[in-house]
Parts: sequence; C-alpha cells; structure tokens
Amino acid sequence: MSRKPLAALAAVTLGLAAGQATADEIRVGVVAPFSGPFALYGTQFRQAIEAWQATHGTRAGDHEISFVYKDSGGVNPDLARSLSQELVIRDRVDVLAGYVFTPNALSVAQLATQSETPVVIFNAATSAINAESPFFLRTSYTLPQVSAPLADWAYAQGIRSVVTTVADYGPGIDAETAFSEAFTARGGAVTDTIRMPLSTTDFAPFLQSVRATGPEAVFVFLPGGPPTFAYAKAYAENGLKEAGITFLGTAETEESNLQALGDGALGLHTAYHYSAAHDSDANRAFLAAVEGLGDDAAPVNWASVGAWDGADLIYRMVEAAGADGRAAIEAALGAEWESPRGPVRMDPESRTLVQNVYIREVTRNPQTGLLENAETGIIATVGDLGWKD
Amino acid sequence: MKRALPFILLLAGTAAMYLLMPYNLAFATRILVMGIFVLSIDLVLGFAGIATLGQAAMYGAGAYAAALFAAHAWAEPVAGLAVGAAAGAVVALLSGLVLMRASGLTLIMLTIAVAALLAETANRARDLTGGADGLRVAFGPVLGLWEFDFIGQTGFCYAAAVGACVLGLLALVARSPFGLSLRGLQSSPARMAAIGAPVYPRRVAAYTLGGAIAGIAGALSAQVAGLVSLETFSFTLSAEALVMLILGGTGRLWGALLGTVLFMFAHHYAAAADPFNWLFAIGALVMVVVFVLPGGLLSLPGALKGGRHD
Repeated sequence: MSRKPLAALAAVTLGLAAGQATADEIRVGVVAPFSGPFALYGTQFRQAIEAWQATHGTRAGDHEISFVYKDSGGVNPDLARSLSQELVIRDRVDVLAGYVFTPNALSVAQLATQSETPVVIFNAATSAINAESPFFLRTSYTLPQVSAPLADWAYAQGIRSVVTTVADYGPGIDAETAFSEAFTARGGAVTDTIRMPLSTTDFAPFLQSVRATGPEAVFVFLPGGPPTFAYAKAYAENGLKEAGITFLGTAETEESNLQALGDGALGLHTAYHYSAAHDSDANRAFLAAVEGLGDDAAPVNWASVGAWDGADLIYRMVEAAGADGRAAIEAALGAEWESPRGPVRMDPESRTLVQNVYIREVTRNPQTGLLENAETGIIATVGDLGWKD
Repeated sequence: MKRALPFILLLAGTAAMYLLMPYNLAFATRILVMGIFVLSIDLVLGFAGIATLGQAAMYGAGAYAAALFAAHAWAEPVAGLAVGAAAGAVVALLSGLVLMRASGLTLIMLTIAVAALLAETANRARDLTGGADGLRVAFGPVLGLWEFDFIGQTGFCYAAAVGACVLGLLALVARSPFGLSLRGLQSSPARMAAIGAPVYPRRVAAYTLGGAIAGIAGALSAQVAGLVSLETFSFTLSAEALVMLILGGTGRLWGALLGTVLFMFAHHYAAAADPFNWLFAIGALVMVVVFVLPGGLLSLPGALKGGRHD
C-alpha cells in the first residue's frame, strides 16, 4: 500500500516522456515466448487475441483496449520480470497477461501486488502460483484439475490397477501425485510409478516394463512436443493396446501434434478441459474467428483457448472497472461465461476457472479425414483441486 | 589521470542509465548483473586462459545459496551476497581441483558437465529448491534501510554499488603480480612452469576467484528478481555471457563491460521492435563483429590506427 504514492509520482514524472496512453485507453501487456522452441505458444496467444479483437472490436464499455507483446523466450524469470516491470512502468499497461512457464509467472508476483496490476495467466498450470499474489487470475487449468477426475473415471470404468509414467520434473510429479492419490482413495492400486528423463524420446524400455507388469491401464504425463509424439508411437509399437492396457493421458493428444501421430493414436483416452472438436456454437465461432486470420493461422489448442478466454475476461474487467486494478479483480471473481470449452466460472477463492473436464477418445473425423479428440462425456465440473490456502 | 578516465566514463554511463531510463530500471539492473557475470568469465577465460562454458554452475550456486540463506536464516541482501560468493567459490574450488588438470576440449566438456550436474541436483531436491517451479524468496531491505521497490530504484543502485566493488577488485587483481602471472599462464603454461610459477595452484585460485564473482552475480540476480529457477544453471546462460565477452574483447575488463552493454541493448531493442524475429538482428551483430573485429570492440581504435590486433 505504501508503494501507491510512489507509483503515482512515477506516473506523473514519467508520463510525458513515456508516450502515455490516452485517458480512456487501456493497455494490456502480453509476456510470452515469441522466439525459440516455444514460439508456438506466443503465436497462438497473439492469434487468439487478434481473433477476439476482430470479432468483438477494440472497445470494452467506454474504454479502448490495445495489446503490447513482449518476448520472454523460454523459462527465464529474470527476463519475464524485467519485461513485465517495463510494461507496467514505461508502457503504463493496466493489465499483464500471457505467461507460459511457472517460474516466469511466479517472478511477477511481487510486482503485481505492489503495483496492483491484475495478471491474467493464459497457461502456467502449477496450482501454487495463484497463492503468491491476490492479483493473479488464471484462464488455463491446473494439473490436479484434470488428473484426479481421470483417476475417478478410470476406476468407474472398472480399471483397478494402473502404472503411472511421467516425465521427471515438477509438473510430471504433480500429475503423478494427483492421479495416484485420487486413484488409491477410490480403492484402486498403483502398481508401479515410473519417472522418465525429461529429455528422452526413447520410451520403448519403459513401455516394455509396463507391459511386463501387466496393469489394466497406464497413466502418462509428458510435456508437449516430441516426447508426446514418441510416447504415443511407442505405445502403439510395443503392443500395449493389444495387451489390453488402456492409455490414460491428458494433453498428449493436443491438436498441434495430433495429425502427426497418425493411426497409432486412434482410441487413446485423455481427460482434458478443451478439445477443438467441442460441439458448441461458442467453439465454432472461436474456430471461425481464428481461421478468419488467414493462411498462417496456427492449430487451435488449449493455449489458444486460454488466451481467448483471457481476452474475454480482460474485456469484462475493463468494462466494469477501467484502470482500477483492485476493482478489476473484484469484477473478475465469480464471473461466468460460455467459453469455447463449455461453461466456465472464475472461482473467487483459487482465481482459476471452474470448468468441465471431458473424457475424450481420438477418432478420425469422417468428413475432414483428420484426427480429432472426440468428447464422449463430462467426467467432472471442478475448480483447482490442488488449491491450498 | 589517464588511468582514471575509464572509471569516470563508467560512472557517468551508469548515472546516465539511471537518469535516461528511469522507466526501465529493471532492464538496466539486468545489464549490471550480467556485466558482473561476464567479468567473472573474463577473469577465468580472458586472463587465465581457462576455457569454460560452464560458468553458470557458480552463478546458479550463488543464486540458490543466497535464496536459501534468505529463506531460512537471514533475509538481509548484503549478507546473502557473501553467502552467494562463498557458494560460488566452494563449487569452483571443488570442481576446479579436478577440472584444472584438464585443458582444451576436455576442460570445456567438463565445465558443461558440472553445470548440468548441479542443475539436475537442484531439480531433484524439489523440497529444498522448488525444482522446475523455481524458488520464490522475499528479501529484506538492503542493510536494513532500503526496501526493494517495484520501480527498481533500490535494485539498480544496489547492483551498481556491487558492480563497482567487483570492478574495483578485479582492476586491482589485474595489476597485481597474481594477475600478471595469470596472463603468463594464458600465453604459455609451459614457460610459466619453467620459470618456477606454480601453474596448477594458480589456475585453481583463478577459477575459485572467478567462481566467487559469478556467485555474487547469481546472488544479485536472485535478490533483484526475488526468484531463482533452474535456468540459472543453464548452458544458454554460460554461452550467452561468453558471446558478450567475445563481442567486447577478452582479457580486458572494459571489453567485458562493453560487450555486455552492447549485447543487452541490441537484444532489448531488437526484441522490442520485433518480438517475433529479433534473433536475426543478434545473429547479424555477432557475425559482423567477429568477422570485422576478431579482437572484439575494444580492438576498434587499434584497428582504425592501422593494424595492432591483440
């Protein structure tokens, strides 16, 4: 609180030099990877925002909204923080958004609290982030939110023994813990927990050992990209499907990799909060808006929908509260709307969306001939199950 | 007077950064932290000729040590710097005892391996370090007086003061008999051995001192950002710092600073102008400097006068 006069002073002294926004222009700073191996996230964020502005205009209430983009590269909290600081102090943004990686999001906690700037996280999925600042809001999901319902669903399908295989890093271990706890609480047995090196793409040894153990299902969590692809391929090639071992995943069949997986991916089960094949008018409008951007539109997946809903939330906040950070957060808490993923609500406590988790199966769409995640039912409507105050 | 000129220029430059970029102190602070880190590589590589691509091992050790010290013992930043320096020195000493027996490519590979081992250790020790999520720590006011503010004034002044101390120390080291013997080691270890200079202990000492300075840089970055991540051990960090050193010119303290400032500004403004394709600009800059001025930017005056390369 004692920082507020300082911020006001800085605003007055720096305003002239820094090309200040016009009185009713609200600026939003987006910090995300726009270069390097994770540039796809940035592209998807930007396209979702552009699609949102193309269909909903650039005004929210009495305010004009504009977006400024900053490239944070990969995991780089120092850079993410200094870019965010620059956005708040020099570019005079009223809202920060983006943030793909947990450390990058964590690095702006103090800045957000001191400057009372709302931060809308489009992706970073570790539960603990939101506890670090009351100005954090999240429009993606958290790992326990999808892993635990998947365990419940597997048990309801009659599956009693599971081997978990996760990448050996923070999010992988979170997913393993959430799944194991939920599954054993029901009465199922986790017969083995395998942690695989983060950088490996040779999963044959791990999957052969899973096959030898002979569980009824295998749970997997891997970061997106080449590992996912290699894992799904190894699952098919090592005959786990024939051996009757059900595949239980989350983001492994996400849309930007899905077509490359080929027929080997058919029949894979995943639990997740968004599929581009979701059957609703809101989703069709979203897909049409992104396609309307032209030929270089990137595949739409959960990252795109996180940014789209983030833009939606930012418009609501600005319309209700303009540049007032505290009032904007108040306006956001409890907000409900129809997202491309289904109905969502901003949980006032964990500040993460309460949303449907769907069980999906990879099928080939008879019309387009493309693979898609066909949703076969809602297995839970939950908020952040990993939230601890 | 001529001796003091660079120091006056540097002081003026730092003051100018503060006055001209008041809205951008976070960036200016990152330049200072990076400058200290590049100076540590300059000491190890530029002066003593120890080829390294793993200086981030000591940077990360310093960052984690400072953060853990603040979280569990005392949140005062200057004490944290001392702990960071000690951690960097210990890592450099222990690894240096083995590493300094190697040279050339073997040495480079081993330095990378040490950083990778530490990164994996920090990743495994999740309960202590937070693993891939990073470790967030609130540091107290500097010397109990100045609190870190979000505009970055405290952070900048603090980093500038630390940077000045480090630079002053290294300027003394460079002119001391120890510094001269390091230059000798770089030119010809065999001759140094022949005149009776203890080659191996000197190399270990240089590596340890460089490690302590890298540890200070790491601790500083942790304190300014309030967060440490596994990336502090990353190969990219070591490699980028080396590029900065080469841009400026190795073996001279001013080269390290000049290269850092140039690289960071080019990076910042290219990325701000075009967040999607800015890497082209950095690549072009590095290639031009390396082809036209193999000795780095500091060799520009010499090259203009006609010829003296070093």
